[in-house]
Amino acid sequence: MSARRHWLNARSFSLVLLAASFAGPLQSLESQERAVVIQGGTVLPVSGPALQNASVVIQNGVIVAVGTNVTIPQGAEVIDARGKFVMPGVVDAMTNIGINSSDLNDASDPITPEQRIIESYYPYGEFGHGGLEPLRNVEALSGGVTTMYIAPADAQLIGGQGAVVKTAGAVLSSVIVREPAAMDMTLGSPPKTVARANQRDPSTRMASMAMLRQELIRAQEYHVKKASTPNAPTDLGMEALGLLLDREIPARLQATSATDIRAALSLAEEFGFDLILDGANSAYEFRDELTSRGIPVVLGQISHPYISNEEIPNKEDYPPLDENTPAKLTSAGVVTAIASFSRAFGSLAPAGTGKWLLIDASIALGYGMSEDEVLRALTLIPAEILGVEDRVGSLETGKDADIIILDGPPLSIKTWVETVFVDGVQVFTRDADGTARE
Amino acid sequence: MKLSLSVLSTLLVLAGTASAQTDQVIAVRGGTVHTAVGAPIEGGTVLIRQGKIVAVGRQVSIPSGARIIDATGKDVIPGMIDNHSHIGARSTDLNDRPMLIGPQHRFIDALDPDDPDFNDAIEGGVTTIVTGPGSGENVSGMALVIKTFGDDLGERILLEHGGMKFAMGAKSRTRYPTTTMGVAANLRQYLIKTQEYVASWERWEAEGSEGAPPARDLGYEAMAEVLDHRTYVRAHVHSATDVATLIRLKEEFGFELALHHSTEAYKLAPQLAAMGISAVVLPLGDRIGVSEDAMAGPFVLWQNGVKVALHTDAPVISQKWLRLSAGLVMRYGIPDEEALKMVTINAAEIARVADRVGSLEVGKDADVVILSGPWYEPSSRVDLVVGDGQVIYDRTEEEAEQ
Repeated sequence: MSARRHWLNARSFSLVLLAASFAGPLQSLESQERAVVIQGGTVLPVSGPALQNASVVIQNGVIVAVGTNVTIPQGAEVIDARGKFVMPGVVDAMTNIGINSSDLNDASDPITPEQRIIESYYPYGEFGHGGLEPLRNVEALSGGVTTMYIAPADAQLIGGQGAVVKTAGAVLSSVIVREPAAMDMTLGSPPKTVARANQRDPSTRMASMAMLRQELIRAQEYHVKKASTPNAPTDLGMEALGLLLDREIPARLQATSATDIRAALSLAEEFGFDLILDGANSAYEFRDELTSRGIPVVLGQISHPYISNEEIPNKEDYPPLDENTPAKLTSAGVVTAIASFSRAFGSLAPAGTGKWLLIDASIALGYGMSEDEVLRALTLIPAEILGVEDRVGSLETGKDADIIILDGPPLSIKTWVETVFVDGVQVFTRDADGTARE
Repeated sequence: MKLSLSVLSTLLVLAGTASAQTDQVIAVRGGTVHTAVGAPIEGGTVLIRQGKIVAVGRQVSIPSGARIIDATGKDVIPGMIDNHSHIGARSTDLNDRPMLIGPQHRFIDALDPDDPDFNDAIEGGVTTIVTGPGSGENVSGMALVIKTFGDDLGERILLEHGGMKFAMGAKSRTRYPTTTMGVAANLRQYLIKTQEYVASWERWEAEGSEGAPPARDLGYEAMAEVLDHRTYVRAHVHSATDVATLIRLKEEFGFELALHHSTEAYKLAPQLAAMGISAVVLPLGDRIGVSEDAMAGPFVLWQNGVKVALHTDAPVISQKWLRLSAGLVMRYGIPDEEALKMVTINAAEIARVADRVGSLEVGKDADVVILSGPWYEPSSRVDLVVGDGQVIYDRTEEEAEQ
């Protein structure tokens, strides 16, 4: 395949720029090279057990030490975290954050694999103010979210290519962690409801599946032809579907009802692509197949069980998330993340841009998940699902210094995120940013 | 006909069983009792007889034979009240389209009392709700105050004329009104017509009720209840502009007013407090992008002395998460017991049913909720719900069934 894109990993060249561009209470370029020690807190590394009175040392944007007995580099800046909780930044595995509602889905065509969400992305957050300042989504940061998946919405069969981004950075290229990160697809009610309203195909589940199959077959044929005839015209959509068929990227396939999950599983098997199920509220009955095929599930929000944009969706067509499901899937061995499914500006936006994700997920504690399991479902597991676990998702040496400090246990409604580091830079403090009333 | 002795005694035994059920004394003992009208009582007891609360306190003597429910280590709160929801009706029955003013509509005429959404409410510790027409019309009809449990519909209903729903954002795309000022004019014109309608009847009566009476109009009759305070206005409103319009309309027509959704009501908090206008807020609904300022809105309203209640808009948000709304407003500075009032006694007072429900006080309906931990923590579970003195939800039993 000739026109394959590579994931952008712009961290190395962005750090200097990022540090230089922060002003005021944020760190200067000087302190960027200087080590920072977050000292004396209850550290929840997620990759291992909780550590009391422990420290995290960061330098040059990455974590250089975690433990109760770390060597503190000379001249390090010390942040007192006694009485506080320190954990990795939350990874929100499914959002439409930063996308204008008119840019969520192309209205003209149910299948647009060539479109890239990053090219609709507005990285400032709802309370951003633009200007020559670093990019910060203060809303996401105020909920401890440091990495998120952004995607087209669910009005099309194939909406386009999603991306993994950080919620703060110097310039757009520096916040991109992985792009394209997945091919974003939807089965079931939303695309057919939209199509029916616009009097075009597909207005049934049968038509949805037939159109997806036909498109994937077309992509297979395109690549056969392209291999034998290098001068054949390039089609961006076919190129993008090639990434999926070559397993360079997975499909993020939203499938809520059992019918749609069954269809998704068979489609992935037929075309041999990697599958991640989104909003799979009926996934429990497929647990054995999901574990044996290694297919992960992204669920959310628990307090807003409908991921549909419809205000009151049809329950048979669009079953809501049962509070027990994250716990049941997790104990059955299905890799399960809890995400915000935050909607775009100007549409139904449950619970704001992930800022209440920790609170929402704390509901799962009452339904049989342990604190450790819930925190994993918000950090390391989504990082693995997004394919960025080498960079984020836990407090481990060598990973990006994306760290949040909380004033209490992370899964209590009275707890606030006080301080957030992204790539080692302190990009949010509750004192300075308060409640983001800018 | 003469009954044989054995038949008679059987009947007596049956009668005895039936009355034992309703007469059963329940003592909820050992928990932290949050009454919604005072300080929490550690290790308190709530004593229940014949469906009513007969004693609340630390020193309550429990009669022998009472069923004792141990709440040690748990929170005990009043059955919660969701002041604004739309459950119990099909979504296509919530608003008449394109009718934009329909005060003659009564939610009870669309009610399905067996809607499974009522079970979600019970599971969430919500025992009383206001449920009513939607916000697709300038005036959409009369809401209903109803308990979420019980077999007898008549007994479940607390208030059939449970408030007249206005909606300030309800603009039409194709017919009058299509602007904010059009909605205001439409409401004002209708209220004036109602005044004239009432006057025409008064005139006819003053003239000895002779001759043909004025033609009856169900819409004006229903709106007349608003003008003479038999019921009140429940107004769906987001923007401060529309809050100001409602204040003007209240000044002109003198009705009782509760704001709903109330997203920007905080911007006029002192004025609302001075005029006795209450605010029902939806912290979980992010429909217009609820900013942090708006999230802090309930705190500002409360601080200024406005009576605040919280709502779910169920089925938009499940009534299971009414208490999560309270938890969220607590984050912005509202004290625990004040937040509890917003899902109990304040909601009851705004709904005009506080004589029956909303607090753990002697004489009130025995609607009591026991939770596994702090009532406001999302991780706590509703363990047991008592409704009208009967155990209507027991989580242990529910889980055993599953």
